[in-house]
Amino acid sequence: MTMVTIIDLNTGNLQSVANAFTRVGAEISIARTADAADGAKILVLPGVGAFDRAMTRLNEQRLGPVVRRHVLEKRRPLIGICLGMQLLADRSFEHGEFAGLGLIAGEVVQLEPRPPIYRVPNIGWTTVTARKPTSMFPSGVDGESFYHVHSYHLVCRDAGDVAATFEFGGRPVVTAIERGNIFGMQFHPEKSQDAGLNLLSSLMKHIGSAG
Amino acid sequence: MTLHRLIPVILLKNGLIVRSQLFRIHQTIGNPLHTIRRLSNWNVDELILLDISTEDFHDMRRDDLQVRYLDNTSIGVLRQVAEISFMPLTVGGRIRSVEDVRARLSVGADKCAINSEAVRSPGLIEAASKAFGSQCVVVSIDALRKKDGSLEVFIDGGKTATGLQPGAWAAECERLGAGEILVNSIDRDGSGWGYDLDLVRQVTDAVSIPVIACGGVGSYEQFPQAIQQAGASAAAAANIFNYFELSYAHAKKACIDSGVAMRPVSLGSRWFPREPAYDVKVEDARIESRLERARTRRFPSMEISATRKVRWCTRCVYPSLSATPMEFDAEGVCMGCRMAEMRVDTPSQEWERRKGILADIMEQASSKTGDRHDCVIGVSGGKDSYFQTHYVKNVLGYNPLLVTYYGNNYTPAGERNLRRMAEVFDVDHIIYTPGVGLLKKLNRLGFIVMGDMNWHNHVGIATLPLRIATQNRIPLVVYGEHGYADLCGQFSMNDFVEWTYRNRLEHFARGYEWNYMVGREGITAAQMAAYQYPSDQEIFELGLRAIYLGNYVPWDGNANANLMREKYGFEFGDLPFERTYRKASNLDDMHENGAHDYLKFVKFGYGRCSDHASKDIRLGTLSRADAVALVRKHDAVRSSDIVRWCEYVGMSEDEFDAIADTFRDSRVWWLADKRWCKQNIWDGG
Repeated sequence: MTMVTIIDLNTGNLQSVANAFTRVGAEISIARTADAADGAKILVLPGVGAFDRAMTRLNEQRLGPVVRRHVLEKRRPLIGICLGMQLLADRSFEHGEFAGLGLIAGEVVQLEPRPPIYRVPNIGWTTVTARKPTSMFPSGVDGESFYHVHSYHLVCRDAGDVAATFEFGGRPVVTAIERGNIFGMQFHPEKSQDAGLNLLSSLMKHIGSAG
Repeated sequence: MTLHRLIPVILLKNGLIVRSQLFRIHQTIGNPLHTIRRLSNWNVDELILLDISTEDFHDMRRDDLQVRYLDNTSIGVLRQVAEISFMPLTVGGRIRSVEDVRARLSVGADKCAINSEAVRSPGLIEAASKAFGSQCVVVSIDALRKKDGSLEVFIDGGKTATGLQPGAWAAECERLGAGEILVNSIDRDGSGWGYDLDLVRQVTDAVSIPVIACGGVGSYEQFPQAIQQAGASAAAAANIFNYFELSYAHAKKACIDSGVAMRPVSLGSRWFPREPAYDVKVEDARIESRLERARTRRFPSMEISATRKVRWCTRCVYPSLSATPMEFDAEGVCMGCRMAEMRVDTPSQEWERRKGILADIMEQASSKTGDRHDCVIGVSGGKDSYFQTHYVKNVLGYNPLLVTYYGNNYTPAGERNLRRMAEVFDVDHIIYTPGVGLLKKLNRLGFIVMGDMNWHNHVGIATLPLRIATQNRIPLVVYGEHGYADLCGQFSMNDFVEWTYRNRLEHFARGYEWNYMVGREGITAAQMAAYQYPSDQEIFELGLRAIYLGNYVPWDGNANANLMREKYGFEFGDLPFERTYRKASNLDDMHENGAHDYLKFVKFGYGRCSDHASKDIRLGTLSRADAVALVRKHDAVRSSDIVRWCEYVGMSEDEFDAIADTFRDSRVWWLADKRWCKQNIWDGG
């Protein structure tokens, strides 16, 4: 059974993420401290809410260095979900300017509303398009939709990191990234039912066979 | 692009789903766990769960169900809901602080809907959106259209006026940081007239955040209107999703058919099978613990608890703690009496209109080429079966296929009535008889697991007609009356409620699906085939509906019985029942009015006589004083068929009584001086 360690950023939705990984057959542990996260095989950074609060918590608990070591030195898989993906960026402009973990080159900026069609927050099922073959979408994602709920989005500096996008107000918005052992998704796989659970299941299989 | 959403709303009141009308009348539908599990099975776009309880207390009301709450608080219930809810979950009700929001998010909610408290202290919107992000702060707005046509926001479940205008208030919520608005119409609630599109439009025009429309949907075609005509991002409804089979799939199809961009109809998630997956070890332990209690005669309810206070309807004799989904209104009158009132007041031209709707349904379902029967009627051979067959064959002129689940417990008169149906009506009749060895096992298991030997009978009757209809590509099943709509006013007549899998699993099977029995006493899956319900995909593709005749034609059980005796020689019981005074009910099963009903008394402190007397009071044929006397005479009788049943399944009567006592509901009974005591309707006070 695959061991997954979920970092508790105290920002909600932890339980849903845990339920989803359990449902696809993973064994779950929750890490609230640096020590608890240190030995992880697979790390999951979930999260909803504000960027700076989450970063503050990561720094206070000295979790930032643990996450970086996990990815850069141990070369182990990291999965960022929603805010958890945004935290991987260099910086965010949500209510100010804040530094992120710097694992993915890019910045987090606000979605621009264009009512009546494009309302912000972007809440709901958004059809995504794969930008490269990835282990998250082994059979492509044409027409598949995932549940999004966010007001900010990641802009990648390296287009090669972008795994999938969706269209918003006539422009592509990054919704999934993959760079080596780093996987990120703006949508909520834990709330995307069959689409999300299929994705987590295939990602776990890929990571399991690779590691 | 971001697709539009179709969102079922669950109104939760003290632990049970309710149907709502004008925010004032609430009828109990059932427990949320089965319903939410099914929504996960269907991949629904999102779920909104609104807790409209007046106190932080949730209860399933009975202990013989397979599901149970692990704790009685809102948060405890939400934790259980989140475990089976893999769709986005918005939770509202009783949220008054940032801490309330945090508590809900941390157990699995994705968004929180704030209503009254947002008006009282708008700072909460700001504080919650700062703490958790605006994307998880929904402000719920309930608006009432007043006599002069203007709209006003009301809070406290529609009770308190605020002087606020919905559009202006929504714009203010957006400014304070709300990420979404849920707008509901108080005057449309439960009406079935459709959304108040003007209200929805006022709100969508006033904000740039997404808006969810709710309130008033009575037919599937009304869903897309909120999106196409009023600019909503999502269309939501509560009641309608409780009325019809596969309602979510049909509503989704209506939206997509009218051009709304939504995710496709989906039935049967690979991650959430429709049939519950039971933890065999946990269930084994539950059964063993019950048998242990029976052996040692240790019972939990030894003292009178403060919450134990049974009331009775002030008109009929129905108790407030019961086996059924009953509600009382503010005047202490039960919903069964209220709905009976409505039925009596139904004018004849309304019945003519209903007969017209029925004629359309029958005509649509009928075989055009003669390759099959026109419909299936599930018959037990009782008075209602006769009436249904009479009506479909001899009044409407269609060719039904009769289907009987033969449970091997017929009374002699019931048996003769059953066997004569093919002759007196000249219709085809399938009588399905399970192996008696299997029946004995299922009798025993039903009794030990849930205190009901007739589980097999209820599930058989609730499965076989639909199974045979599906196998023969017959798209219509006709049932008689909706038992709970009649007995306890579970639905309004205007709901035209139809048969659902949820109703079958929850009320007929008590959450114990056919697969629960597999592996017990050596029972195999193949032996349980007759109890396996058609798949949702099969039902959807066939367009199978199962309707209740009672929604379309006036229904009076006593009058039907007399008419059927006159016209077709229907026989009444040769012997009076010990536990009720009616003679023409449940002749198909000697235990239904006997041992099975005695167990209802053991569990809940009342029996079928209370049911029958309540119905006769509502019909105006019995006074309440006479009814009380009948209840006093019959409800507690330990019927003699228990001897037969014990011999049938090979159990001693002592064992029967000991196991039965483990089902005494602590809400009703207490033990004093080694005697079981309860409140009685004749105690007074």
